[in-house]
Amino acid sequence: MSDATLAMGRDRRQLLLWLAPPLLWFAVFMVVPYGMLFYYSLGSTDYMTFKPGFSLVNLARVFQTEPYLSVLIKSARIGALTAIGATILAYPVAFCLAFHTRSARSKFIIYLLVIVPWWAAYLVKAYAWKTILGTSGILNAVLLNLHVISEPMTLFLYNQFSVVLTLVYIFTPFSILSIYAQLDRIPTSMLEASSNLGATTFETLTRLVIPLSLPGVVAGGIITFALATGDFIAPALVGGPDALMISNVVINLLGVAFDWPMAASIGIVVIGIGTALISVAQYLEHRAQVRY
Amino acid sequence: MTAIIEARQLQKHYGGPLAVRDVSFSVTEGEFLSLLGASGSGKTTTLRMIAGLETPTAGSVLFRGQDITHVPAAQRDMRMVFQDFALFPNLTVWNNVAFGLRLKINRGRVTHEEIKTRVGRYLETVMLSGHAQKLPHQLSGGQRQRVSLARALVTDPPVVLFDEPLGSLDASMRKSMQLELKRLHRELRKTFIYVTHDQEEAMGLSDRVAVLQDGCLLQIAPPNDIYFRPNSAEVARFVGAANVLEGIVESKGDGVAVVRLAGNARVEARDNTALAAVGDSVTVMLRAEQLRLSPAAPGTDGFVARVTERLFLGEKVRYELCVHGSNTRLSALDTGDQGGFQLGDDLSVSADPRHVRIIGQSPPQRSAP
Repeated sequence: MSDATLAMGRDRRQLLLWLAPPLLWFAVFMVVPYGMLFYYSLGSTDYMTFKPGFSLVNLARVFQTEPYLSVLIKSARIGALTAIGATILAYPVAFCLAFHTRSARSKFIIYLLVIVPWWAAYLVKAYAWKTILGTSGILNAVLLNLHVISEPMTLFLYNQFSVVLTLVYIFTPFSILSIYAQLDRIPTSMLEASSNLGATTFETLTRLVIPLSLPGVVAGGIITFALATGDFIAPALVGGPDALMISNVVINLLGVAFDWPMAASIGIVVIGIGTALISVAQYLEHRAQVRY
Repeated sequence: MTAIIEARQLQKHYGGPLAVRDVSFSVTEGEFLSLLGASGSGKTTTLRMIAGLETPTAGSVLFRGQDITHVPAAQRDMRMVFQDFALFPNLTVWNNVAFGLRLKINRGRVTHEEIKTRVGRYLETVMLSGHAQKLPHQLSGGQRQRVSLARALVTDPPVVLFDEPLGSLDASMRKSMQLELKRLHRELRKTFIYVTHDQEEAMGLSDRVAVLQDGCLLQIAPPNDIYFRPNSAEVARFVGAANVLEGIVESKGDGVAVVRLAGNARVEARDNTALAAVGDSVTVMLRAEQLRLSPAAPGTDGFVARVTERLFLGEKVRYELCVHGSNTRLSALDTGDQGGFQLGDDLSVSADPRHVRIIGQSPPQRSAP
C-alpha cells in the first residue's frame, strides 16, 4: 500500500469520527421513529392490542375507507387556503418592510411586531380567536351594537372558515419572513433603473419585483401549507365537527380507538404526500431562484 | 448653443449639513460634462436630482427650457448607467437591453421588428452579440457594464447620465471602457453627464468638468482651464499634483509678481497677477510637473529644497521636497531624467513664471478671476 492510500485511509477514519455525532443524532431522532412508524403501519390490532405483521391492509384502508381520504383532502384544502391567505396578507407587509422602511429603527419595530406574537403560546392565540368570533365574542358584540345583526351570529365560529382564519393568523409571520428575505435582496438601484427606463410602478412590480420574490412566496407557501395541514389545535378549539382535520383523526385513532396501525398508516401517507409536494415546490423554488 | 439641461440653484438636504447647496450650471446639447468631486461632494446627489431619483429641497431642473423638477423619473427623457450596473438578474442580456423598448411597445410607440433590430444593433455596438442569451451573473464586470450601457442607449435618449460607471471595474478594464465611452459619445452625439471621483477620467473624457466639494460647485470649465487655471486652492489641490502655497507679494512689475514663500524662497508668477498687490498675502500654485530641479549650487536659479522621499512611478519619478529653512512641503514630478536625485539631496527648485499662478488672496477666495 502506498503512502497516499494510507493517508487517505487515515483521513477517512477521521472524517467518520467527525460525522459520528450527527449521524447518531440522525439515527436516533429520524431513522428510528420513521422505522417504528413504518413497522406499526404494517401490523394489525386485535381488541385494542397491537399485533405485529406484514400487511398493507391499513395503508389501503386510508384510501378506501371513509372518512380518511376525505379528511385528508379537506386538511390539504385548509392548508392550501391558509397558505394562500398568509401569502396575500404577508406580501404587502414584507414589501413595506423591504422598500418603504428606511430607518433601521422602524424596520426593527415592524420586525418585532411580526415576531412578538410568537412569544405567546399557540393555545392562547387560538383561544383569542374563540373570544373574538364566538356568539358572545367581540365581533358579535360590535355588530349587535351597530344594529347590523339582531341576534348573535353562530356563523363565525366552529367551521372551516374559523379554522383557516386562525391558522392564517398564526402562520403568516413565516410567509412574511420568507418573502421579506427575497425582497430584501433586490437592490434599490434596480427599481430605480426600471423607473429610469420608463416603467410605471405596476410594470416594475409585475416584471421585476414579483418574479424576483417568487422563491420566497413558494418557500413561505410550503411552510404554511405543511404546518397548517398537520395542525390539530386550531380545529380542536375553533373548528366544529365539520372542520375535523387529519391530525385530529390520528389522535383519536391513537388515544381513543387504540388503532395504532391505522394511525401509523395515515402518518405514512401524510409524510409521503408531504414529501412529494415539498419536493415539487422546492424544485419550483430552485427554478425561480435568480443569482444577482 | 442651447442648453438641454439646466440646474438652477439646486439644493438637497437630508438632515445634517446640506448635501448640495446652490448648484447651478447648464449643459449644452451634445456636450460631455463631468461632475468631479470626492465622495460626499454632492456630485451623485446632483446627478440623481437631474434623473428625478431624488427630489431637490430647493431649486429646479430644466430640460430644454422646461421645468421638470417634479416630473417623475419614468417620464424624463434621460437614461442612467448605474455604478452597480443595476441589471435585472431574472432577464437575459437581450431582455435587459430590450426592457425599455418593450415598455414603449405597450404604449404603441415602437414595433416588435424595431425592437429586434435595435437591440441587435446596440448589442453589436457594445460587442456583446454572442452573449445575448446569457444571464447577468454569467458575465464579467466589464460585460455587465456594457449591457447596462446598451440598455441605456437603445431607447435613444437625448441625455445619458453616468453614476461612476467604471467605479467597480479593475484598472485595465476601466481604461478600455473609457475609450469606448469617448468613441460612443463622438459617434452618437448625445449629451453625457458623467459623475466620477477620478480627475484623470474626468479630464480625459469630458468637454467640460464641474468640480464639486462639500455640496458646492467650485468651478465649471474645460479640462484645460481646470488644470492650468483653477479658480481656487481647492480646485488646484483636487486636480492633478499641484502645490498650493502661501506667500507674500514682494514686488510687482512688467506682469511679473515676485512672491516670497516661507523659508525665504522666492518664486516669480506671471499668471493671474492682477489679483494681488504688493504686500498682499496670496496663494500660489506650482504644478508638480513644471518644477525644474537641479543640484543645488551657488548661483543657480530658484530656492533650495531637500529630497525627503523618492517614488519611482515608471514613466516618471515623484520627489517629495522640503523647502530649506521652513517646513513647506512640495511635490515635484520628473518626467524626463533631470538627474536621478536621491533621498537627502539638496536641490535647486525653480519654475517658469508663466506656469506659476496666483490663485487668490489668503485666505483663499472663491470668486472666479
